[in-house]
Amino acid sequence: MLRSGGLNTGSSDLLSARRRGSVRLAGAVAVAITGLAVLGRNSDPAGKPLPAAVTLGAAIALTGNANLYGQDQRVGLELAQRWFASTPHPRPVRLELEDGASDEPSAIAAFNLLIGRGVIALIGPTLSQQAFAADPIAQRQGVPVVAPSNTAQGIPQIGSFISRVSAQSSVIAPLSLDEALERDPQISRVAVFFAQDDAYSTAETAIFQKALAERGLTPVSVQRTQLADNDFQNPITAALQQKPQLVVISAQAVDGGNLIRQLRELGYRGQIVVGNGLNTPNIYPICQRWCDGVLIAQAYSPDLNTPINQTFRRLFQDANGNRTPGQITAQAWTAYQVLFEALQRLQKRGEMDGVTLGEARRRLMQEVLAGHYDTPLGPIHFRADGEVVQGRFYVAEVTMEANGRHGSFRLVRSFDVDSDAGGPTP
Amino acid sequence: MSAALLQILLNGAASGGVYALVALGYTLIFSVLGVINFAQGALFSLGGYLTFLLMGGRIGVNGALPGWHLPVALPFWMALLLAAIGAGVVALLVERVAFAPLRRRGADPLLSLITSLGAGVVLVNLLQILMGAEGYAFPAGAAALEGLPEALLIGGARIRTVQVVLLLISAGAVAALTVWLERSRTGQAMRAVAEDPTAARLMGIHSGAIVRLAFLLSGMLAGLGGGLIGLSVSLAGPYFGISFGLKGLAVLVLGGLGSVPGAIAGGLLMGLAEALIPSAASGWRDALAFAVLFAVLVLRPSGLLGRRLQEKV
Repeated sequence: MLRSGGLNTGSSDLLSARRRGSVRLAGAVAVAITGLAVLGRNSDPAGKPLPAAVTLGAAIALTGNANLYGQDQRVGLELAQRWFASTPHPRPVRLELEDGASDEPSAIAAFNLLIGRGVIALIGPTLSQQAFAADPIAQRQGVPVVAPSNTAQGIPQIGSFISRVSAQSSVIAPLSLDEALERDPQISRVAVFFAQDDAYSTAETAIFQKALAERGLTPVSVQRTQLADNDFQNPITAALQQKPQLVVISAQAVDGGNLIRQLRELGYRGQIVVGNGLNTPNIYPICQRWCDGVLIAQAYSPDLNTPINQTFRRLFQDANGNRTPGQITAQAWTAYQVLFEALQRLQKRGEMDGVTLGEARRRLMQEVLAGHYDTPLGPIHFRADGEVVQGRFYVAEVTMEANGRHGSFRLVRSFDVDSDAGGPTP
Repeated sequence: MSAALLQILLNGAASGGVYALVALGYTLIFSVLGVINFAQGALFSLGGYLTFLLMGGRIGVNGALPGWHLPVALPFWMALLLAAIGAGVVALLVERVAFAPLRRRGADPLLSLITSLGAGVVLVNLLQILMGAEGYAFPAGAAALEGLPEALLIGGARIRTVQVVLLLISAGAVAALTVWLERSRTGQAMRAVAEDPTAARLMGIHSGAIVRLAFLLSGMLAGLGGGLIGLSVSLAGPYFGISFGLKGLAVLVLGGLGSVPGAIAGGLLMGLAEALIPSAASGWRDALAFAVLFAVLVLRPSGLLGRRLQEKV
């Protein structure tokens, strides 16, 4: 039997039967929505009492293009968790890792999942681009976020629950340019490369190019690449036709590492300055001996001689076969440390007893911003808007071993910076 | 010829050769089965990692077995060959789990797009669990190119030596495959199955064996490509093969589905289209390359050298 697909069936019985069906359906939907709303309210963990063992949630990139950073962060977080768990503390803290992958929807999903599970605070996400999408969710639900690696402008300004331990690139990026220009004051021709499909790299290249302009240098070539690129023959040969004396790169570890290698192979012998995306030992196996001599400004130096950094470095080397930790790992440790210490201070003052999770989250955020921390990055504290205030930054030079397989970021110079006042001083 | 034009041609040929190699893998399977194996990009990654391990490379700290390595450290060329065979064997496995069950049940060939995509995702994730996320690079001098300069200057144009080697090997592989398809009995059997599977079966050709052979060869081509790219630009995490796979897919369509000469022409055209982008508009490289694809398909829906399909009633 065929069914009519037309609008006018000509049957009034059928019409009234349809109306009755529609009313019943609307009623069922209304009941279901009300039920879900009630259930949702009851299952919102913010209204429940704070559990004895509180959980910190970390949403970091364990898969996707940014997983190189996420894996470094996982190492830092797990080392910090083990270390601080072994120190005397009044309130046990658990760590729950969730893969925030390398895109915005995955970071949002990871944040939602962890918040729903009742974490007291969040660490992450890995990329600034993800933070702009996921942080507003934590802000709306009153969950503190400490970002370990978001350096783009405007992250803490997303809201009062958002902070970061990673200094913004506008503070540190120009430091490496100054080092390059001091080594060769005759530099007048600069080529700039940046990954155009990466929010962080495009923001950083703007900072680099502004810093170049302030130093009287106009790029002779600006080449746009993409994160997934691995063959740079075209942009490199185009840039080399302009005979640059300095190359400035804003990219991520893998594409940037390949770019450096191919620049050298195609005959470029001048200085190379790179941005924060290449601030990881993971570039060594990619650009190998060709990494040698690359200049980079850093927020962390393994050479910092403080007890907490010595501890961090020793634990890292014990777990990773004598390798030297990088900035991303140190910042992840620091994010955990900040939250852990703020929690323990609150607990010692009895301010975490008998409160709901929502209230505990609010108090924790205030305590995070109020505290001073002695971290592997050096002493840090926060501005009222959640921006980190770090006193010292570094310029390092990549130094590769003779076999070209292993290397290190050799400290060249450190700069004391008054973040609130602005400019760095060597 | 001016140095600038020569530079463009060299740049285009260097990347186009690799695209052609990837596209050939797709072509073999498409010509025999009429489907696209979306696991090809993952096999590309696998070839790179197998080559690295066979050369005695150690698994990094983020892998499942940090510091582990095979008890052998083969020279690059031998490792590359074995890795290609290994990738071919895994391609056979992909055929067994993602294609054969659907074929037996007479399912719509479109479904195998999803099953092969699934197989590829599983492969890439297994690689990530085993090898970790970090990049790997073959040791400098792995291919015994140390005696040669890092780049060659040809008529004022510059190209990396390793890319010339890569181009030559790609060309050699493509030529060998073409000759094999044209001249050998098995190659002719494969062409017969591609032309008309039913007629080929009636002629006594074991089409199942031919299908498996197509998968083995396409896997080997992907493995070879992955190892060569590893030599040229490093292994940038388990996902690196996926982008080559996508570009190879575009080349397959551009050249004409199922056409071996089309895959070669398409690869070179795609490489040239990318190389032609002026430096100021380098950000538009992919957009322009795919615009070329779009334009060719509008003018010739069957691709550059593809045959127009005729519906028999």
